[in-house]
Amino acid sequence: MTIPQAEPLPTGPTLDARSAGQAAHRPWYRDALFMTGAIIVGISLFLAAFGESIAPYDPQIPVGPPSTPPSLEYWFGTDSSGLDVFSRTISAPRTDVTLAVSAAALSAVIGTMIGLIAGFYRGPFSAFIMRISDVLQAFPVFILAMALVALSGRNLTNLIFALTFLYTPIFIRLTRTEVLTQRERSYVEAARALGNPGWRVATRHVLPNSLTPSLVQLSVTVGFGILLTAGLSFVGAGVRPPTPEWGLMIANEAPKLVLGEWWPSIFPGIAVSLAVLGFAALSNAIERRVAS
Amino acid sequence: MLPYIAKRAGIGLLQAIGITVVVFFVIRALPADPVARLVGFNASPETYAQAQKSLGLDRSVWEQFTSYISSLLRGDLGTSWVTGSSVVSEIRTTLPVTLQLITLSFLVALAISLPIGIATARRPGGKLDKTVFGYGLFAGAQPEFWWGLMFIFIFYFTLGWAPAPLGEYSPNISEPAEITGMSLIDSLITLNFPAFGDALWHLWLPVMTLTLIVSGPIIKMSRQSMSRVLGSDFLLYQQASGLPSKQIARSTIRASLPPVVTLAGILFGFLLGGAVLIEQVFSFSGLGSYSVRAVLNLDYPAIQGTVLIITLASLIVYLALDLLIAAIDPRVKAQ
Amino acid sequence: MSEILRTSALTVRYPYGSSETVAVDAIDLTLNRGEIVGLIGESGSGKSSLALALLALVRHPGTISGEVHFQGQQLIGLDEEGLRAVRGQAIGLITQKPRQSLNPFQNVGTQIRRVYQAHTDATDEQAEQHAITLLESVGINDASRRLKAYPHELSGGMAQRALISMALSAHPDLLIADEPTSGLDVTIQAQFLDRMWERANQDGTAVLLVTQDLGIVANYCDRVIVMEQGRIVEDLPTREFFANPQDSYSKRVLSLVHERQSAETATSNGAADTTVLLSVSDLTKTFTLHDKKVLQAVSDVTFRVHEGRSLGLVGESGSGKTTVGRLILRLLDADSGAIEFRGQDVSQLKSGALRAFRSRVQVVFQDPFDSLNPRWTVERILAEPLDLHTDLDDEAKQARIQELLEQVGLPTNVLQVRPAGLSAGEQQRVCLARALATSPDFLVLDEPTSALPPAARVEMIGLLRHLQAKLGLSFILISHDLSTVRELCQDVAVMYLSQMVEFGTTEEVFGNPRHPYTRALLSSVLFPNPHDRRVDRADRTDLTGEIPSPVDLPTGCYLAGRCPLVEERCSQESQVLREIVTGHSVRCWKATGE
Repeated sequence: MTIPQAEPLPTGPTLDARSAGQAAHRPWYRDALFMTGAIIVGISLFLAAFGESIAPYDPQIPVGPPSTPPSLEYWFGTDSSGLDVFSRTISAPRTDVTLAVSAAALSAVIGTMIGLIAGFYRGPFSAFIMRISDVLQAFPVFILAMALVALSGRNLTNLIFALTFLYTPIFIRLTRTEVLTQRERSYVEAARALGNPGWRVATRHVLPNSLTPSLVQLSVTVGFGILLTAGLSFVGAGVRPPTPEWGLMIANEAPKLVLGEWWPSIFPGIAVSLAVLGFAALSNAIERRVAS
Repeated sequence: MLPYIAKRAGIGLLQAIGITVVVFFVIRALPADPVARLVGFNASPETYAQAQKSLGLDRSVWEQFTSYISSLLRGDLGTSWVTGSSVVSEIRTTLPVTLQLITLSFLVALAISLPIGIATARRPGGKLDKTVFGYGLFAGAQPEFWWGLMFIFIFYFTLGWAPAPLGEYSPNISEPAEITGMSLIDSLITLNFPAFGDALWHLWLPVMTLTLIVSGPIIKMSRQSMSRVLGSDFLLYQQASGLPSKQIARSTIRASLPPVVTLAGILFGFLLGGAVLIEQVFSFSGLGSYSVRAVLNLDYPAIQGTVLIITLASLIVYLALDLLIAAIDPRVKAQ
Repeated sequence: MSEILRTSALTVRYPYGSSETVAVDAIDLTLNRGEIVGLIGESGSGKSSLALALLALVRHPGTISGEVHFQGQQLIGLDEEGLRAVRGQAIGLITQKPRQSLNPFQNVGTQIRRVYQAHTDATDEQAEQHAITLLESVGINDASRRLKAYPHELSGGMAQRALISMALSAHPDLLIADEPTSGLDVTIQAQFLDRMWERANQDGTAVLLVTQDLGIVANYCDRVIVMEQGRIVEDLPTREFFANPQDSYSKRVLSLVHERQSAETATSNGAADTTVLLSVSDLTKTFTLHDKKVLQAVSDVTFRVHEGRSLGLVGESGSGKTTVGRLILRLLDADSGAIEFRGQDVSQLKSGALRAFRSRVQVVFQDPFDSLNPRWTVERILAEPLDLHTDLDDEAKQARIQELLEQVGLPTNVLQVRPAGLSAGEQQRVCLARALATSPDFLVLDEPTSALPPAARVEMIGLLRHLQAKLGLSFILISHDLSTVRELCQDVAVMYLSQMVEFGTTEEVFGNPRHPYTRALLSSVLFPNPHDRRVDRADRTDLTGEIPSPVDLPTGCYLAGRCPLVEERCSQESQVLREIVTGHSVRCWKATGE
């Protein structure tokens, strides 16, 4: 489940900031949080690209007797249809990670652009954009995602669009808030006084200085995307079997859990849990380093 | 105060209207065919046309919209295309199940998280603080459906400390009459104590799963809020003024509450539509499970109804908490 | 003099994890009755921590050790009841940030009452009455209504008064004031410090005054303590400190003072050029706030700047001086009135002409770091105006950038540095170089020195004087600091609450101030010279009360509520700016004699 975050508190230079500062001033390779995040994210991206090629078996074809416990031959065992759980687990990022990364990147790009416009130019358009994004934020996210995917057809493209639609308002808000702060700063006024046209002030001065919150959010959003993808598949509103996908693997094998067949559903679950943790850790570490 | 309430309520209402409109048109704009889903893809054109007519889908979108709005104004959310019963009555039985589950999880989460948050704020950098930081990071985003399954595997299958995840009561229990729709309250009112115990027995695992997830952000926020207050100038000044320590403690707690209350509100609203997966895992017939059925069956009236009700319910929660915060913090009204 | 407080080996530590910071390092200190002691030092030297430690207090999660003997009683380790009897009763505290020091969730009345009731058995009604008396005693009108106000509804000055009334509530024997006037306007600062001085001299209250302002030290303190890195490095009587400092830090700050004092009043270089460069007439600007209220920022401002001369625009917060600068730059559009630059109406300029105008008129803002794009290198920052307004090739551009660096006295190696890597003084030089890039005819300098540390401030003033002479630069200097204006400008306009109240040459206005506000402003200046103290001056013009809000302006003369010379006529008719002698105008019927 992805928990929404409340607005961050305004904090002064408290001891918290100092403690965060201490960790952040370490070189990046000695920042445990950063390294944990970076390694997990690195592995996830690697598997998204090459997981299927390095898998010992074809993840979509039964390769052995069904419901074999983990062994040297089938590291994570086989599921009730005889598919190799290890091969499926490392092939799943092709779907889960690719989808989450694409949706997060798309919504970051779109959200940042809209947020910049809505923050920099005040007027009816900005007000309208903000009302729309308010409405979108009040939606029950999971149900909306489910409905969008189920009604537009359960395929990868539609999933990406649905997720992008859900996550764009986050980036609009973040960027707009930052733009509103930045545009009050003297360098923006100085840029105008130097004779820069408005669009140049917006794109060359304000935009580059307003990206930090979105960059920090990007990694977290990828994590959210992985969770949502897995969750949708779990209720049957995600990708179709036999695509190797973590949520689907868990959903298919969940009934067997109460019969003692833990392996087909435990490994994909650990994978989701770790992947999401990795993206969150990276995001946290980046935030800490940027803040100091 | 009154204009503030009116303004908040007004904005909330506009949002609800916005959502109603958006949902109505978006689901019709998407390329799904609910009629085909209902009658089957091999049905004859006549059967298809008949079904389309009976669902009202032969009319123009505008006609559908006006008739939807006019029945909405009478408090009628329409009839489910799949079950044939009224959406209002279906939501009336499923919503309380969800409300009970998440309220309980919330109470447990708050009872655990607030003291931990305060304790860690008092000793920043301590062992507890570091552990809690890790936990907050971890629990902020996790596949709760999988954790639910793991708990079932451990506590039901392996240890036998929990019942089979098959609903709110055991099959051999005589269920109390449905009054509020919440198993604990209904069994209490009817003095059906075996049912009360059984309901608790079935609740503890899902509640624990949700608590595990929800506690992370609450601990994080209460720690942050508390440490901000502990480092604040006004607290120092109260000490410098020689105020009694009881008074100081009271104002410390009060000052650290608003951000936590805000977060709790957001989380609660979020869980209303977000407990879907946990309900599925534990076979609770709550609003979440209902919405999954509605979506997968392309049951438009039910989809519209659930989204609208969840949105309204979360808006009411937000409004109530906003008012609570306004009562605590005089600065809020000034904005 | 009798001793009231003595510390020995007083130490304050702030732990974090395995490491810790020692903010106060084994300090021995004595304070006496009726004595005002100034505590100075750079920020981070531990001044505030020491001030709090005298109350046996430390900011969470710090720890405190050593001894504090107050009237013979050791405070550290004392039980809660014992401490409560001292804190808020025998020792009062006034802090740097008055608004943050008040509880945001309680109204002011409740807070004052609680403090009083913490030390007495007063009933609610008695405490209420006491609170009203206290607020009235610190010059707050309408005290019973103000009691219901929450801290966020108060201005900084008002919050400071509430805090002072709490600190003085129980007639403390020792008052600890941690930069009590930072962020206050100079006339308000003078009001507060005068009261504190009276208190020490009449009631024998001991005062520890933490400050960074040597003017305050010279004017009000009997003794000076200098702190550096948690230790006391100097402890001398004030006159001796100014005459013969021992410590290197003291010597450094005092040498800057002497450098300033030797600077002369700006005079027009050579024959006055009569060509009008900038002419502003009847300029008016209002802002509509969120709650639909109208804020009067600038009303009917009229002045001229001649070629080769510079104008100082002086005033306190809310005077509208910054808005005037923004209007001249066309960063804001005026509601009415005209701005002509070299005879051209600035408000009518359209895109191309406006761009050309921007290359002729440039600006330097108050906060140098904030004024520079944090992601750009100095080179890119300086190249921007050249890219926008010239078609120099790369080589010529580089040459021009080199020339600019030389003009503002920066080394070439700053070119690849980003603003965060420069000191405040260097950042402001970059801002100045950027403003000079297109060889403008006119600059708007908006408080260019007030965000700089003392040394950089002196250097910046020197640099501006140098450029004035070398480039024949004209500018408007917006400032609340009268000494800076005196050194750099030939003409002065004094603003108060959106109006210009006095205008004239620097010699005229400083030598023969006619408006009561100008006089008050001048007599509020605290010179860092213990032989020229404000408290010793016979003819002072003192203002009372708060600066009214520009949202809710009084009728008649805007100063009427605070003016010592007020008569009934003042609050009835609005005042007009009239010339009393050629080139010297005043907005006060008493001065113009009509």
